Amino acid sequence: MERVIHEHILVCLSSAPSNANTIRAAAKLSQAFGGTMTALYVQTKNFDQMGAEDRQRLHRHTRLAEKLGASVSTVTGDDVAFQIAEFARISKATKIVLGRSAVPKGRFYAPKPLTEQLVELAPYLDVYIIPDSAGKNQRRQNPATKQRILPSIRDVVITIGILTLSTGIGFAFHRLHFTEANTITVYILGVLLTALFTKNNVCSGISSLAGVLLFNFFFTEPRLSFRAYASGYPVTFAIMLFSSLLTGTLANRLAIHVKRSTQTAWRTQVLLETTQQLGQAEDETDILEVIADQLLKLLNRPILLQCKNGTVIRRFPDGEPPEDFPDAATQRFSFQSGGEPLGDVLVYGNALEPLESGILHSILGEGVLAIENRRNARQKEEAAVLAKNEQLRANLLRSISHDLRTPLTSISGNAENLLTSGDRMEDADKRRLLTDIYEDAIWLIRLVENLLSITRIGEGQTRLNMTTELVDEVITESLRHIRTKTHTIETDFADEILLAQMDARLISQVIINLVDNAVKYTPEGTKICVSARKQGDQILVRVADHGSGIPDERKPRVFDMFYTGNGRNADGRRSMGLGLHLCQSIIHLHGGEITLTDNTPNGCVFAFTLPISEVTINE
Amino acid sequence: MNKLLILVVEDDPAIRNLMATTLKSHNYRFVTAPTGASAIMQASTAQPDVMLLDLGLPDMDGVDIIRKIRTWSQMPIIVISARAEDTDKIDALDAGADDYLTKPFSVEELLARLRATQRRLQFMQTSTPSPIFSNGQLKIDYAAGCAWLGEQQLHLTPMEYKLLCVMAQNVGKVLTLSFITQKVWGSTTESDIASLRVFMATLRKKLSAGKEDTQYIQTHIGVGYRMLKVE
Repeated sequence: MERVIHEHILVCLSSAPSNANTIRAAAKLSQAFGGTMTALYVQTKNFDQMGAEDRQRLHRHTRLAEKLGASVSTVTGDDVAFQIAEFARISKATKIVLGRSAVPKGRFYAPKPLTEQLVELAPYLDVYIIPDSAGKNQRRQNPATKQRILPSIRDVVITIGILTLSTGIGFAFHRLHFTEANTITVYILGVLLTALFTKNNVCSGISSLAGVLLFNFFFTEPRLSFRAYASGYPVTFAIMLFSSLLTGTLANRLAIHVKRSTQTAWRTQVLLETTQQLGQAEDETDILEVIADQLLKLLNRPILLQCKNGTVIRRFPDGEPPEDFPDAATQRFSFQSGGEPLGDVLVYGNALEPLESGILHSILGEGVLAIENRRNARQKEEAAVLAKNEQLRANLLRSISHDLRTPLTSISGNAENLLTSGDRMEDADKRRLLTDIYEDAIWLIRLVENLLSITRIGEGQTRLNMTTELVDEVITESLRHIRTKTHTIETDFADEILLAQMDARLISQVIINLVDNAVKYTPEGTKICVSARKQGDQILVRVADHGSGIPDERKPRVFDMFYTGNGRNADGRRSMGLGLHLCQSIIHLHGGEITLTDNTPNGCVFAFTLPISEVTINE
Repeated sequence: MNKLLILVVEDDPAIRNLMATTLKSHNYRFVTAPTGASAIMQASTAQPDVMLLDLGLPDMDGVDIIRKIRTWSQMPIIVISARAEDTDKIDALDAGADDYLTKPFSVEELLARLRATQRRLQFMQTSTPSPIFSNGQLKIDYAAGCAWLGEQQLHLTPMEYKLLCVMAQNVGKVLTLSFITQKVWGSTTESDIASLRVFMATLRKKLSAGKEDTQYIQTHIGVGYRMLKVE
C-alpha cells in the first residue's frame, strides 16, 4: 500500500541575526515538500539574561516564522539538543533546519556539536544546516557562557575544602615519610571528589591546577616555593595535571550520566503510566482528565486545562484551590493537532525545571496522539454509519420507485379509460375500474404512511412523541382504520387498566401493519384476534391469525427490510417488505421486543411488548 | 334539511374540486376561497355556517386565520391538514378549531364530520340555557350534580363527573388533552395526562353499560377526546 508521507519541518528560532535566513530557508523547504512547518524556540535558563536587542530580534524572528506559515512553539530546558529531539519526536517532525551559528564549533573541551547530539538523539531526523552568510566571525559573546564559568559559592567552598583536606593529608604523609607519589594520589582523589560533588566542571579543572601548584608549593624541595630542584618534577607536574584533568572530566561525565539515567527512568515510568491510562480513556474528556491528573502528579502544582471546545479542567495539589491562589499562571503551554490548536495548559506556582517541562511536553504529545486516534476512529465509525444509511436509503428509493409504478399505472390507466370511453361502458365494468383505482390509491396511502414513519424513526429517539396512552384505546382506534369485509377481527383486553409510554401514532402504525398483514395473507372468512394483557412489567400485545402460518426457516427473516418471502399476497400485489421491518424498528425504539410464533392449531402470532407505565393518579 | 352554507378554503384546485363535487352531490350550499385573505373576506360577507379550512395556505398561517375568525364568530371550523404532525392539529384545535381531517381523507369521512357538525349546530341553536344536558340516553343534571344513562343513575366519582361535564359542555368538539387537563386539574403534567387516560377509561366503561352500543366518547390518538352528539 502506498503511503503519502507528510513532511513536517521543524526550524529552530534563536536571537542570532542569521536566524532569519534559516527561517526563510525552512519555509522554502516546507513549501517545496508541501509540508507543514513548526518554529521551535528552546528557552534556556539564560533567557532572563538576554539583552534587549536580542529579545527584539527573537521577537522579529518569531513574527517572521508565523508570517511564513509556521506554528510557533516554545519549550523550556537547558539541554537544547534533547529538547529539540524530544519536541521533534512528539510533533512527528521529519526534517529539522538549523542555522550555522546554532552549531558551536572549535572550542576546546566543548560538548559535541548540536547537530551531532541531535543525530544521536533522533537518528530518524533529516538535519539541514543553513550556512551563516551574514556574520562569519560574529562570535557573539554569549552571556550564558560567562555565567556558566562562574561556579556557585557552594561549589567554591567544596573545592577549597577538599583542596585543604588533601593538603592536610599531604602534610600527614610527609610527617610519616611516605613517598610523594602518595600525596599526588591524594590530590587526584581530591579532584575526583570535587568533580563528583560540585555541579560545575570548572571546579574540577581549577582543582586540578591548584592541586599541582599546592603540591609544588608545599611538598617539593625547596618547600614553600614554586621552584623545584629535581629535574624530573616538570614531568611529574605535567602527568599529575593531566591525570587530574582526566579524572575530573570522567567523574563529571559519570555524574551527569547517573543523573540522566535516573531522570530517564523516571520519565519513562511517568510516560508509561500516562500511555496506559490514555489507553483506557473512553472519550476526549477522559483523555484530558488523564493529562490533567498526570501533570498534577508530575508537577504537584495547580493545573488548568483550557480546551478550545470549552472544556476547562482544574487540578489542585490538595484537591481544593489554595487560599493564596495566584491570578496569573506561571507558564502556558499550547497543544495542537495538525496545526489546529486544541487548548492550553496553564501551570501555576514555581517555574518548571527543564526536565519537568520536557515530560510535560511528552505527556501533552501522548495526549494529542490519543485524541487524534480517538477522532480518527470516530470519523471512521461515522463514515461507516453514513455509508450504511446511504445504502439503506438507496435500496429504499429503488424499491419504492419500482413498486410505485404498478399502482400508478393501474390508477392512471383506469382513469384514462373512464374518461375516454366511460360513456360506452357497462355500469358493472365502470364500477370494477373505479374499485381498482380506489384500492390502488388506498395502497399508496398506506405506503406513504409507512414511509413517513420510517423517516421519523430514522431520525432517532428524539423525534418520538411519547405520551402516556391507554393500550386498549390505541388498539381500538387503530382497528378503525382497517376496513375488511372478508375477515372478522376480535379484541380481547385485560380488565385492568394498561397504560404505556409510547408514540401513539407509531404504535398505531404497528398494529395497523400487523392486522393488515393478517388480513392480506390469510384466507377469507378466518378470524384475527388482537389482545392485550399484562406480563410481568411488560404489556404484551398479540395479533393472532388462522392462516397457513410461516415456515420456520423463513421466520428469522420476516423482520428484515425488503424481505417479501417468495410470493404475493392474497390480492396478488407484491409487498414491499417494509411493514414488518418498520414494526420492529418502532418497537425497539420503545424498548420492547417483537416476536413471531406459531398459532394453534394453525396460523401465526405476532406479539410485541411495551414497558408498562406506572402512574400516580391525581384524584 | 341540508341548508348549511359551507365555506371551503383550499388552495389546491383538485382538492377544492373534489370537495365542491362532494358537497354539491349531497345538497350542501357552499362558497370557496383559495387564499387566507379571501377566506376571511368570505367568512365576514357570506355568513357561512361551517368552515372547512386547509392549514397549508400560501398567504397565511391557518392557525392565524382561526384566531382572526374567532374574534367575531363562533361558527364551527373543521381543519384539513396534510401534515401528519399531531402538534399542528393540536395548535389549530387550541386556537379554536372544532374538528380536523387529515389528508388523505375519504369522502365518507368528510361527510360524517359535516353531519356531526350539523347536529351540534342544531343542538346549540335549539337548546336554551338549561340545567339539564341531554345527549341520546345520557342526561346530566348540572343543578343536582348527577347523571343518568336512560333510567339508570350513573355512579360517578367526582373526577369522572367533572370530566363528563367538561366533555358535555363542548359536545361535538375535539378537545385536546391539555385543554381537558387544564379544565379538570388546572395543569398539564405527565401525571395529569395519565390520570385523564384512567378516568376516561372508567367513565367510558360506565357510559357503555347502556342497552345499545352507543359510543359517546371518541378517542383521537395523540390529540384528545370528543363527546359525540348522538340522535
